[in-house]
Amino acid sequence: MRRFRCLWVMGLMTAVCAAQTGKKNPLAGDPRAADEGRMMFRGSCSLCHGIKAEGGRGPDLTLGTFSVGEADADLYNVIANGSAGTEMPEFGSRLEEENIWRLVTFLRSVARREGVAITGNRASGEKLFWGKGQCGQCHRVQAQGGRMGPDLTLAGRQRSLAYLKESILDPNADLTPGYPTITVVTRDAKTIVGTQRGFDNFSAQLMDAGENFHSFLKSDVRSVKREFRSLMPDNYRRLFPELELNDLLAYLHSLRGLVEEKK
Amino acid sequence: MNRWTAILAVALAVSSGRAADVTWDKLLRAQSDPASWLTYGRNHAGWRYSELDQINAGNVAQLVPQWMFQTGVQGKFETTPLVHDRMMFVTAPINHAYALDLLTGRQIWHYYKALPPGVSICCGQVNRGFAILGQKLFKVNLESRLLALDAKTGSVLWETEIDSIKKGFSATVAPLVVKNMVLVGIAGAEYGVRAFIDAFDADTGKRVWRFWTVPSPGEPGGDTWGGDSWQRGGGSTWVTGTYDPELNLVYWGTGNPGPDWNGDVRPGDNLYTDSLVALDADTGKLKWYYQFTPHDVHDWDAISDPVLVDILVKGQKVKAVIQANRNGFYYVMDRATGKLLLATPYTKVSWADSIGPDGRPVLISGQDPTPEGNQSCPSIGGGHNWQASAYSPQTGLYYFPTAEGCQIYYKTDQEFREGQLYTGSTGGPIPLEPTTGAVMAVEPGTGVTRWKYEMVTPATGGVLATAGGLVFAGDREGYFIALDARTGKPLWKFPTGGVVIAPPITYLLDGKQYLAIAAGQSMITFALPGPAGRSASFSARRLPPQTRPGPQ
Repeated sequence: MRRFRCLWVMGLMTAVCAAQTGKKNPLAGDPRAADEGRMMFRGSCSLCHGIKAEGGRGPDLTLGTFSVGEADADLYNVIANGSAGTEMPEFGSRLEEENIWRLVTFLRSVARREGVAITGNRASGEKLFWGKGQCGQCHRVQAQGGRMGPDLTLAGRQRSLAYLKESILDPNADLTPGYPTITVVTRDAKTIVGTQRGFDNFSAQLMDAGENFHSFLKSDVRSVKREFRSLMPDNYRRLFPELELNDLLAYLHSLRGLVEEKK
Repeated sequence: MNRWTAILAVALAVSSGRAADVTWDKLLRAQSDPASWLTYGRNHAGWRYSELDQINAGNVAQLVPQWMFQTGVQGKFETTPLVHDRMMFVTAPINHAYALDLLTGRQIWHYYKALPPGVSICCGQVNRGFAILGQKLFKVNLESRLLALDAKTGSVLWETEIDSIKKGFSATVAPLVVKNMVLVGIAGAEYGVRAFIDAFDADTGKRVWRFWTVPSPGEPGGDTWGGDSWQRGGGSTWVTGTYDPELNLVYWGTGNPGPDWNGDVRPGDNLYTDSLVALDADTGKLKWYYQFTPHDVHDWDAISDPVLVDILVKGQKVKAVIQANRNGFYYVMDRATGKLLLATPYTKVSWADSIGPDGRPVLISGQDPTPEGNQSCPSIGGGHNWQASAYSPQTGLYYFPTAEGCQIYYKTDQEFREGQLYTGSTGGPIPLEPTTGAVMAVEPGTGVTRWKYEMVTPATGGVLATAGGLVFAGDREGYFIALDARTGKPLWKFPTGGVVIAPPITYLLDGKQYLAIAAGQSMITFALPGPAGRSASFSARRLPPQTRPGPQ
């Protein structure tokens, strides 16, 4: 609603809109604040966004463009309140306002201000995803696909292109939190393999390839093994030539969340 | 104490009309009062050992919850509750505190003070517990203040500033009562503070003494800091110390130098950070110190409980102080002199080959943080961090929770600004090598590991040892666990539904043994089914005098 209200009066009242979308960064362009923000970034953000903010588990933040909005206030809000539906937590309870602005200032200082070159064809990539690659056997996009692997509905927002590429070619390079492989051997010598849904000192929960949920008490089975490897096949480097890989990446990069059907 | 003397003690307390004050003498004899829990480490030696044995290895599997008290307060619930006079006194995150009816868990009073703006807290808005003397409870507030509360009503009797939040100080420690003084440590080494240990008069809240954990130039140890780096030297004191009444010495562990991961700006050993200091209780003057990690660049605070035990080391009977340190080594020192008697690794250590005869670590090169990141072991939290340890005179073993793993350490240049985070970078996890955990049992005289109960994640809860042959622990996934004190075998568990970060306690109510543990946002108590005394024998098991802490 806020955006519509702003658009409605855009021609006349740009300044008012800026005020409505939130606050101005009091430290904008301050190199010292950017430096302090860099320190805080390393402490609080680098785990997901990489030590140089170039992304990893979280999006690349040096692209100069942000899915949450382009204003400083948008960046402030996502740091303070987190981003619903993603792994981005809120830092508002941990960082003072001034420190959040330092982070914003740092992010502005590392922006390369150039878009990522998406060379592939999205539509072709979508076909590869659901067809040749059989990615949809284990991954879900909106209401379609499998459930054993991570849901990719937001993959384009949550992951950098480089990370997505690495994940396809080398699924074990980094493991999405919560997706180790669990192998259980029961007392009657049945082996059940799946992705972790829970794991503690006394029990293990997993989902197998048939999307069946299993729960075991460790004391009731012969063995429970957890491995920090992915169940995803590691043959995509051979399966996809470079051009197809780029198409697939273009598709994954386009996945930005639930798309509501037009009425 | 047997069942009948326990009942007699309760009857006497009731018939006296008002509860006996918790005198200093009573605190010194805390170990021989199994009904109560009167000080952070149960006794002044930091044992966290109870002589209660109603709950024992034979019946612990029958433990059931008795009541739960939900604070509704978000954050890490790290408190050691105190139990006295049919009340449980509980501190919670963000300046909340409660008195609970021991029988029902009903709230009797609630203290709360809103957190003022501008408090810098590196690692959670936590509090680790009360201290008690007379009818006063003492607690710190996060905004670096010490308070005395009326134990009957929760009303504030006095309140004093420990130091300024503008400088980056905060307070989370459970105070330690020594004589008529309340001793507190301080947090803030991640914000470039110069830390200290303070003693306040229990009646008035006036400061009696202060010991700076970072000396100024000209003072002994002042030459271990290059330039003016001592002014931002850190050395926080955020976990409660211990006290030996015979030597009249207070033992307190100190934290990391600041900035944590960039040592370039503070050349030298950086005394007395990452050290154990022994202070004259009356004056706060330094009697001796031992520095575990000179010129630390990994954030290996030496704040783990300094436990006071009389043990045999290499055939000699020693009044010792022991600590499984965050840097991965287990240490034994003569607590009268500070002389190092034993140092041996208890977990994976990559930064030092050993501790040399001069007491200094024999360093392995290439272990320091770099701008690109460099791997070293143990991880930032250790080894053994602040999680409470225990010593059982019954088994003669020292128990402590650990994290098992390594870390990638980064280094960055950083300019200091008062009140701002000042860490010189950070640490990151090693991909596909998550840190695990354990509860360990170590022979204090040799450092030999007797058993290790392995956990899938770093052990978050503290431990408690009992004469029932049990060690109680808690984990990140929310289990409250009983282990066999001699073998480490798990005997009972209860899924609390919230992370267990606190240490458990045990006490008697109407002659029956209970356990209490803070988990998630709840305080939960446990007991055996049935009325007191029926479910278990309550054998008289007295400790030999030489293993008793306090005056002989």
